[in-house]
Amino acid sequence: MEFDIVIVGAGPAGSTVARKVAAAGFSVLIVDKRQELGSPIQCSGAVSRHALLENGVEPDTEFIHEPIYGFKIMNGLGGEKEIDYRKLKPNVYGTQEGANPLGYVVDRRRFDRYLLTQAERAGAKAWLKAEAIGYEQAGDDVIISIKHYNKIERVKTEIIIGADGLRSQVGKWAGIKTHIKLKELASCLQFVVDGVETNGLLELITGSQTAPGGYGWVFPKGNGYAEIGLGIIAPYTNVNAQVHLDRFIKNSFLSHRFKNARLLEVQGGGVPLASPLKKQFARNIILVGDAARHVNPITGGGIHTALSGGTVAAEFLIKHLPSGDDNSEKNLAEYQDNWLEAFGNQMWKLYDVKKKIFKEKDITIQDKKLFETMGNYFSPNSDYKKI
Amino acid sequence: MKKPVIFDIGWNACINCGACIAVCPQPAGFVSDFDTIAVNTPCEIACMKCEDICPVSTISHLVVAAQENPHK
Repeated sequence: MEFDIVIVGAGPAGSTVARKVAAAGFSVLIVDKRQELGSPIQCSGAVSRHALLENGVEPDTEFIHEPIYGFKIMNGLGGEKEIDYRKLKPNVYGTQEGANPLGYVVDRRRFDRYLLTQAERAGAKAWLKAEAIGYEQAGDDVIISIKHYNKIERVKTEIIIGADGLRSQVGKWAGIKTHIKLKELASCLQFVVDGVETNGLLELITGSQTAPGGYGWVFPKGNGYAEIGLGIIAPYTNVNAQVHLDRFIKNSFLSHRFKNARLLEVQGGGVPLASPLKKQFARNIILVGDAARHVNPITGGGIHTALSGGTVAAEFLIKHLPSGDDNSEKNLAEYQDNWLEAFGNQMWKLYDVKKKIFKEKDITIQDKKLFETMGNYFSPNSDYKKI
Repeated sequence: MKKPVIFDIGWNACINCGACIAVCPQPAGFVSDFDTIAVNTPCEIACMKCEDICPVSTISHLVVAAQENPHK
């Protein structure tokens, strides 16, 4: 069996590469070891509208939980900054005719399935319950071994796309330094609940009292549901995320809003608040999405960066595959150069901003800086709106 | 020198978040069938970062005596 590219992982990054490369006429196999994409949910699901549109994804009721119109950043000490685009740009954002939402909270199960559907409709072949277990060199190509319903399939390909998430095994196979420090990986937990009112804003709660090293959130989830969650950095606290979330719900300045909350789902994940990987490619290998640590180091948001990184990878491959160039590390380096130019350099700047905040030893000043940075980040004048 | 450990996961509380694998410095393959860190293989590094990151503190460990380690 032979494909031009094999993509390991059918999340937003992998399916974007699959859709775009298949649409350009190349043979694409995308594999995922799960039986239900997007599950278990490890993400709050917030994504901007322009992130979808600029990567060729039409907002669709199939995956949208609720439209979003802005942000409210709170610090639990009386500090509040509301950035409601319905008020700031009423002709552009809102529910009235001709206006649009700023973004959406999406259902990751439906969203990931939708993206894979689009990839398959573009011509990609997809296997679920298919775990990539290793690869070997075959001249300028590679043979990847995939365990598919207990049967080992050997597939020859030019390039393996590692879109297998933060825990990327593909990156490890290729000897790429993927290890993340404990103090740069947020331990996140969220509850989907009924009985908590929201009003179309993503509410972010900064401050070490709520979430040491990270932040808390209350997001609208559609149908009257909400998600209440937080991410902490383990070395900054001596209790786990579950304890912090319990305190946030029962004993914080927002507790009065949560008193009628009825639990519907428990979700969690490790979210990198880290720099992108310094090297995101190897011979015959390209990493995208969380696997390349294409995650916003301030917000932890990863859907936009995954879609955009997938687009950059696809555009590179569409040029590289028919070029006759071999699949050496040297020839794949251009992918990372393109990504740095499009987004990566901005992400590195954001990482420096984040690092400076948490280098501050005085917790009061650190909390103040994070609150200000979050407020500035989401403002209409932000330098970083694109990521 | 840290002694090897074998991890135990309280599956009842595990939310399959994958944070333990994400932070694990082991080479590829140190994972269980349930997408957590491996539970049937001694961990020679014993850094305990997986225990530290777990949002619900459901990972624990037992120190493995040298003679019990099948890889020694």
